[in-house]
Amino acid sequence: VCIKNVFSPGNGVASRPQKHEPFEQAPMYVAVMTYLGFGIVTLFGYLRDFLRAVGLEKCHLAQEREEQKDFIPLYQDFENFYTRNLYMRVRDNWNRPICSLPGPVFDLMERVSDDYNWTFRFTGKTLHNVINMGSYNYLGFAENNVDFLKTVADKVNQYGTGVCSTRQEIGNLSIHEELEGLVANFLGVESAMIYGMGFATNSMNIPALVGKGCLILSDELNHTSLILGARLSAATIRVFKHNNMHSLERMLREAVCSGQPRTHRPWKKILIMVEGIYSMEGSVVRLPEIVALKKKYKAYLYLDEAHSIGAVGPSGKGVTELFNVNPTDIDVMMGTFTKSFGAAGGYIAGKKELVDYLRSYSHSAVYATAMSPPITEQILRALKCIMGKDGTTEGLRRIHQLAENTRFFRAKLKEMGFIIYGNDDSPVVPILLYMPGKVVAFAREMLERRIGVVVVGFPATPITEARARFCLSAAHTRDMLNQVLHHLNEVGDTLCLKFSRRKYTSRPDLCAETNLELDS
Amino acid sequence: MGLSECWKQLSWIYYQYLLVTALYMLEPWERTVFNSLLVSVGAMAVYTCYVFMPQHIMAILHYFEVVQ
Repeated sequence: VCIKNVFSPGNGVASRPQKHEPFEQAPMYVAVMTYLGFGIVTLFGYLRDFLRAVGLEKCHLAQEREEQKDFIPLYQDFENFYTRNLYMRVRDNWNRPICSLPGPVFDLMERVSDDYNWTFRFTGKTLHNVINMGSYNYLGFAENNVDFLKTVADKVNQYGTGVCSTRQEIGNLSIHEELEGLVANFLGVESAMIYGMGFATNSMNIPALVGKGCLILSDELNHTSLILGARLSAATIRVFKHNNMHSLERMLREAVCSGQPRTHRPWKKILIMVEGIYSMEGSVVRLPEIVALKKKYKAYLYLDEAHSIGAVGPSGKGVTELFNVNPTDIDVMMGTFTKSFGAAGGYIAGKKELVDYLRSYSHSAVYATAMSPPITEQILRALKCIMGKDGTTEGLRRIHQLAENTRFFRAKLKEMGFIIYGNDDSPVVPILLYMPGKVVAFAREMLERRIGVVVVGFPATPITEARARFCLSAAHTRDMLNQVLHHLNEVGDTLCLKFSRRKYTSRPDLCAETNLELDS
Repeated sequence: MGLSECWKQLSWIYYQYLLVTALYMLEPWERTVFNSLLVSVGAMAVYTCYVFMPQHIMAILHYFEVVQ
């Protein structure tokens, strides 16, 4: 395997070239057409709502009984205008039922609708070997090879499948302790704690760390779990522009100088919340600069490595390894096992005092059921594989394969002329589609060509920036990627999706690009 | 041969029109409503041009004293 040494650990942060992260703007006519499309659908939405209210059309939605029509309305009508009139029309592109393992290829059950996607029925046919470009299967650990899963089967024989208790009561198994030790070892920190659900790790632990009188500075594009945790904690939340260090520094200065809003007392704690890789953009956090800022203004840092743990870095240790940052500089390291490890759950790692505190004070630790034993064993075997502790170089091979795939795929897409966001190292590749009609047509066309993609539109992304998000995997072979690229090329031409106005050469540019000015 | 290619090209252009205006997501009767509205507005515009353009052009030429 030829490993290009682009990731060589430099002599320090400053010597490593910052990869250029362009967020290219589409031409103006694209924005105009997007608004036009949304406008037309909204008008027709009003028309259909009127027809339903008058009674000319059958209403498929939930409604109160006749006797309750005089009461306060139970089902909020206008709030789900968008769901009713836009999402329902095209919802055959989401929630597709999969009937096999979500590996690099999978099987889909075919379903059709007779009444424009209000109800579905299965035809009984299965679509085999659809290439999977949507699963968070970065290192390919979603596999059902009997040899690899032997230890998992043994643990099921030993512990069963359910724990039937919380960690604090009687659900603390020895396998949990073993995993926590291994996670702490892997990340290079003192101690770690694992939880059964990744979303709950964020939303239930942030209230234990900050409270009223604390300040949270969170990135614009943070995940819902972080936002929910921040809101539950009752701390003051201020949002800084995505990856913009000037904005963050300005807010830090203002917070340190002015203190709390009316009393001007100093803040009890200032917590900066960022993610390693942002899943909708594929952009990577500017970690060295944030660590420098945090040290200067004496704030704490919460790093959510849900997508980056195992997927970036020369040996899979995440963004700390990518940027050569000492893991002890980051106060709270959080991550999930859903993405690169093929299991479920999350962890929080850091100093021993922090983790011991969380064991007693976090909602998730005290009330949530402990992680199931086969899942714990799956994470153990995946971690051992990545660290090389099982005696093979399989883990390292997968990490390098993922890096190769990422570089290849991104370079080819840019060459073809699509607009893609994000850092060149991130395995999450969003292709911008902009117009709602094209989003739907793209998903359907790709499915016809036996490629499964995930498209996201308005509520999850800004209204003009609908996109298709590709998640690369170490299990994808070069053949599969070439096939996907070939079909993407065709679909891009048929649907006119190649909006990029840059000129890219076919040779990869290995020399350091100068770090252009920060987006302001 | 030329006719089928022409038909394919026209049908591709119609597909692009459907995608851009998001009519692709609407049901067939809604497409009919929108298309007929568009066609009737377009027809009215063309008719108005046809009826009034000579008068407007004469008025402009008269203003610039090109013709008396």
